[in-house]
Amino acid sequence: MNIIPQLIINSIIAGAIYSLVALGFNLIYGATKFFNLAHGVMATVGGYAVFVLSKVLGFHIGVSVILGVLCAGFVGYGLDKIVYLPLRKKRASNMILLVASLGVFTALEAIIAILFTSQFRTLAQHIGTQRIYEVGSAIITQTQVIILIASLVLMAILGFVLKKTMFGKAVKAVSDDEEVAKIIGINTNKIIGYVFFIGSAIAGLAGILIGFDTGIEPVMGLRLLLKGVIASIIGGVGNIYGGVAGSFLLGLVENFGIWKISAEWKDAIAFVVLIIFLLFRPKGIFQK
Amino acid sequence: MAILKTNKLTKHFEGVHAVDGLSLNIEKATIVAIVGPNGSGKTTLVNILTGMIPYDSGTVIVSDTTHRLKKIKPYTMYSYGLTRTFQEVRLFDQMSVRDNILVVLTKRKVIQSFFETQKSDYTKAANKILQKVGIWEKRNELAKNLSYGQRKLLEIARALVTQAEIFLFDEPFAGLFPEMRKMVSHIVAGLKRKGKTVILIEHDMDVVRELSDYIYVMDSGRLLATGTPREVLSNKEVREAYLGT
Ligand SMILES: Nc1ncnc2c1ncn2[C@@H]1O[C@H](COP(=O)(O)OP(=O)(O)OP(=O)(O)O)[C@@H](O)[C@H]1O
Ligand SMILES: [Mg+2]
Repeated sequence: MNIIPQLIINSIIAGAIYSLVALGFNLIYGATKFFNLAHGVMATVGGYAVFVLSKVLGFHIGVSVILGVLCAGFVGYGLDKIVYLPLRKKRASNMILLVASLGVFTALEAIIAILFTSQFRTLAQHIGTQRIYEVGSAIITQTQVIILIASLVLMAILGFVLKKTMFGKAVKAVSDDEEVAKIIGINTNKIIGYVFFIGSAIAGLAGILIGFDTGIEPVMGLRLLLKGVIASIIGGVGNIYGGVAGSFLLGLVENFGIWKISAEWKDAIAFVVLIIFLLFRPKGIFQK
Repeated sequence: MAILKTNKLTKHFEGVHAVDGLSLNIEKATIVAIVGPNGSGKTTLVNILTGMIPYDSGTVIVSDTTHRLKKIKPYTMYSYGLTRTFQEVRLFDQMSVRDNILVVLTKRKVIQSFFETQKSDYTKAANKILQKVGIWEKRNELAKNLSYGQRKLLEIARALVTQAEIFLFDEPFAGLFPEMRKMVSHIVAGLKRKGKTVILIEHDMDVVRELSDYIYVMDSGRLLATGTPREVLSNKEVREAYLGT
């Protein structure tokens, strides 16, 4: 049996998920210039919000997903207002912000573990009954098709907002030079707040989609964060489109890397890629 | 009416008295020049007035007694009607020339700006100002690809499209060709005609003499002399300390 089509499909699905994480990570990095490590836990928040809404409270699955995405967005927005904004106002260095975000990450992850135990759960409604499509010699599940469509649609929307709307121009200006943006009257803190909302909401969606594809657990955020960060470094940190390219590249390398060896090697491969980039291409593939 | 006042404004950098007990009184709709040798504290003053660095003591009062500011933050200063340009031009380098202007025209309501694409009246306004400073042909280039003089002009244009009442220009003429100097001089005079206030930091005495209504001469963070151009330029102390060099 030819395994290559399946590897390609797996790569693309992984790439789509990583892109969702990298998109928000880069958006936030661009506007604030610090590594927001808490970004990974937004995916966990999204996943568990949907778990509570659909499985505990019995909401319709579609409604749950929408509320779950919003929930992750609001948590991100709240973090900015409660933790990061006060630090920025004190002119805290980016190192301090990074450490603060690490603290936030740990705290939120612990809270989720306390509330929900560290058990692995799936968000899928009826396990084992989902539809499967055959593409040549490869298969793709209905959930995976949805993951692909959702991430492509989201990228298109975000691309449009950033490129075409006045909000997008303001975000770009803040990313380029926040101080000057203030001088010309842009309310930069407000813009950054919205960036946190949007970025975190997208990460929340990633967590939710993973929850349907495989499942959620309190520690899922770290792996996702690392993949998002590696993808961002491959594409050039802060570069939104680069991050998407980096995500798909990482997905490809990971999945083709385990062609002949065990799947446990995936993360190791990802880190080798990271180290290669840090050593030889620290500014990413698009570096001039 | 004084639109901007400072009282005993002070800023030290580890022993350097960059601004040292400076009291200014700037009238609305005038062009006020601030001159002084290198390192006399002119840029530091502008940085304080736009909230980019905190100051040690003294007061700043905007629009008479309405706003007595103990602490200044950049965004608040814009809302009090101040904007500035930089001695070393600061543009949004990764954005196109026209976007540098368009972003200023952004609606201040963030939510609204989501649903707002480039409306034609914004584009029209942006094109108009770019034509005025002669860089319209470059509108689609990235700002970082402009020449030194064009960058300075774009920065001035960006300040012009704000709603500011007070413009602080930090050496807007430095390094410009005669043609561009004329343009900038015309713009500064035009602002005054429209009732705006201009604080002009400038080394070139001919420009200062031609444009300004009032001059503050700074030296080591303090005022060496103040007055109309005629008074200041005939001041013996000033001639010796500054103009003589
Ligand atoms: N951020 C800073 N940290 C330490 N010292 C500073 C800082 N900014 C300015 N200074 C010092 O304060 C003094 C005033 O500098 P400032 O840039 O305000 O002078 P200036 O009048 O604008 O000079 P120029 O004509 O060269 O632009 C100088 O001695 C400078 O070295
Ligand atoms: Mg200076």
